[in-house]
Amino acid sequence: MNVVLAIGRRILSVLVTLLGVSVIIFVVLRLLPGNAVSASMGVSEGLLTHAQVAALDRYYGVGQPAVEQYFSWLHAILTGNLGVSLSLQRTVSYLVGLDLPVTIELALFAMVLGIVIGVGFGMWSALHPGKWQDNIGQAVSVVGLAIPSFILGTVLVVLMSSKFHYFPSSSSFVGFFTNPWLNFQQIIFPAFVLSLGIAAAILRTTRGAVLEVSGLNFARTALGKGVSRRAFIWRHLFLNSLTAVVTMSGIQLGYLLGGTVIIEQIFILPGMGSLLITAIHNQDYPLVQSVTLIFAAGFVIVNMFVDLMYSLIDPRTRNR
Amino acid sequence: MSASDTTATPASVAPEEVVGHRGWFGALWRSRNGRIGVIIVGVVLVAGLLGIWGITPYGPDAQDPGMVLKGISLSHPMGTDQFGRDVFSGTLQGLGVSLEIAFLSVLIAGVIGTIGGIIAGFLGKWTSAVIMRMTDMMFAIPTVLFALAIVTALGPGIVDSSIAIGVGWIPIFVRVVRSPVLALRESDFVRAGRVLGFSRLRLLWRHILPNVAGVVAVQTSLALAWAIVAEAGLSFLGLGPPPPTQSLGDMVNNSSSLASIAWWTLVGPSLAIVVAVIGFNVLGDGLRDASDPRTRTR
Repeated sequence: MNVVLAIGRRILSVLVTLLGVSVIIFVVLRLLPGNAVSASMGVSEGLLTHAQVAALDRYYGVGQPAVEQYFSWLHAILTGNLGVSLSLQRTVSYLVGLDLPVTIELALFAMVLGIVIGVGFGMWSALHPGKWQDNIGQAVSVVGLAIPSFILGTVLVVLMSSKFHYFPSSSSFVGFFTNPWLNFQQIIFPAFVLSLGIAAAILRTTRGAVLEVSGLNFARTALGKGVSRRAFIWRHLFLNSLTAVVTMSGIQLGYLLGGTVIIEQIFILPGMGSLLITAIHNQDYPLVQSVTLIFAAGFVIVNMFVDLMYSLIDPRTRNR
Repeated sequence: MSASDTTATPASVAPEEVVGHRGWFGALWRSRNGRIGVIIVGVVLVAGLLGIWGITPYGPDAQDPGMVLKGISLSHPMGTDQFGRDVFSGTLQGLGVSLEIAFLSVLIAGVIGTIGGIIAGFLGKWTSAVIMRMTDMMFAIPTVLFALAIVTALGPGIVDSSIAIGVGWIPIFVRVVRSPVLALRESDFVRAGRVLGFSRLRLLWRHILPNVAGVVAVQTSLALAWAIVAEAGLSFLGLGPPPPTQSLGDMVNNSSSLASIAWWTLVGPSLAIVVAVIGFNVLGDGLRDASDPRTRTR
């Protein structure tokens, strides 16, 4: 019962947050100078019938006060109508349906790589504090934090294509179910570039958490009673540091989603980031609005699951 | 680490000596991070100012048809590009533009965020709840996407980019400033001030603000590092200030197609970004060491 209540409260707070996010996005895109709808209509007005223009006007609430515009947009989104991209002449739902899987795949690969690299080097560093292993870990985190992903991506693309004549993205993107091996080659490099930045943050968190835990009494007791080194590292240190690592991973998802926008451009992946950039260059406000909202929703929902995972990971938080 | 820069003082030393008579800069200089950070950031700032004032070996736009795509040499320490322009001069100028936008955006985020954080920490429950709820909502939009959305609405330009980059960082300042203010509000000296009948403004200005200055300084340095990356990212996507203004991100983007035959065109601007980011990050760590006695011994 308590659990249900806690989950219910989290879902409610997520909904409130998303409502606020939708207001922020609306204010940024609509109320700042420039009439959004008329600007994007200019491109394609000639191609639309009178009835279509009227329907669009109604959808975006053209001519109505801002508050009513917002509510007509909100109402449409809540009924599953994400709007129409005027520059691409498609419904936003159709475009998102095509591009979202690519970004989800990229983000998943990057997240897994980032956690493996970050936790791996972080544990390695923390188990040898002050030694050369620690210095290597620190170096990885400095490099990961200091080199922006677009520089790393550009360098990697240049090296791969000019030195090794290998650039899987030169053929157009294929889905996982069409050609898993080519799809893997096309995803793994951008995912690696994206993962380094989050790996650095996860590395630092892991190192800090493991060092802190290993100084606690129970850790000394475990060592004293002769627990094997492997069990000590994974059961006593790692499991007790997991909360911090999971929290950091959730936070880093935001950077990861932001990073996909640039990385998809460099590696020519047809994901949500590419869609967003196309939309921005076309001044396609409705598309920008919906895509940004979807990114934010993804981030908030994943972090909700992260919060709910605490009680799974750490029994101590269950009674709170 | 090394014994020379330790400030862990024996109990016999007078407290004022622990804090350091050379003030905050002395404390900063004594930490290893602080020293390295000050030096790197100093070099970056001088280079950026040279770029802004146009004191470069060649004009950034000066084309030399006889010197197209030449590698690194004494006269061109970073080589030349496809128009025979000196990459080093271009990098200095680009660094200037990047720093202008970074500083302006962090100024926006820092001022608004610090005020918001102080208000959220100092004033009543309701104000605090409203401000924190708003920062939660802003946090939900990844900062890069926030910047992209604002650029969409405002269009490209130095001030527009600065606003776009700065707004996303406001909630971080709010959070970082709020928690020490919450603790300060209940501290003895602030209570004493309240009993003495000091106005709220005086309490905030004279008693609270100086005590969060350290936290703000640390965050400012880290924010500058991030702002440089964010600005470069926007320009890289072609959403930075329009030509002829060229920031480092534009240069990286332009050189990406050249880099397979002339790697130095990519190295110059990339190096400037990486060095600046490392510098501000290390300076931020140094400021943290200097303002937090617990870590100062490092």
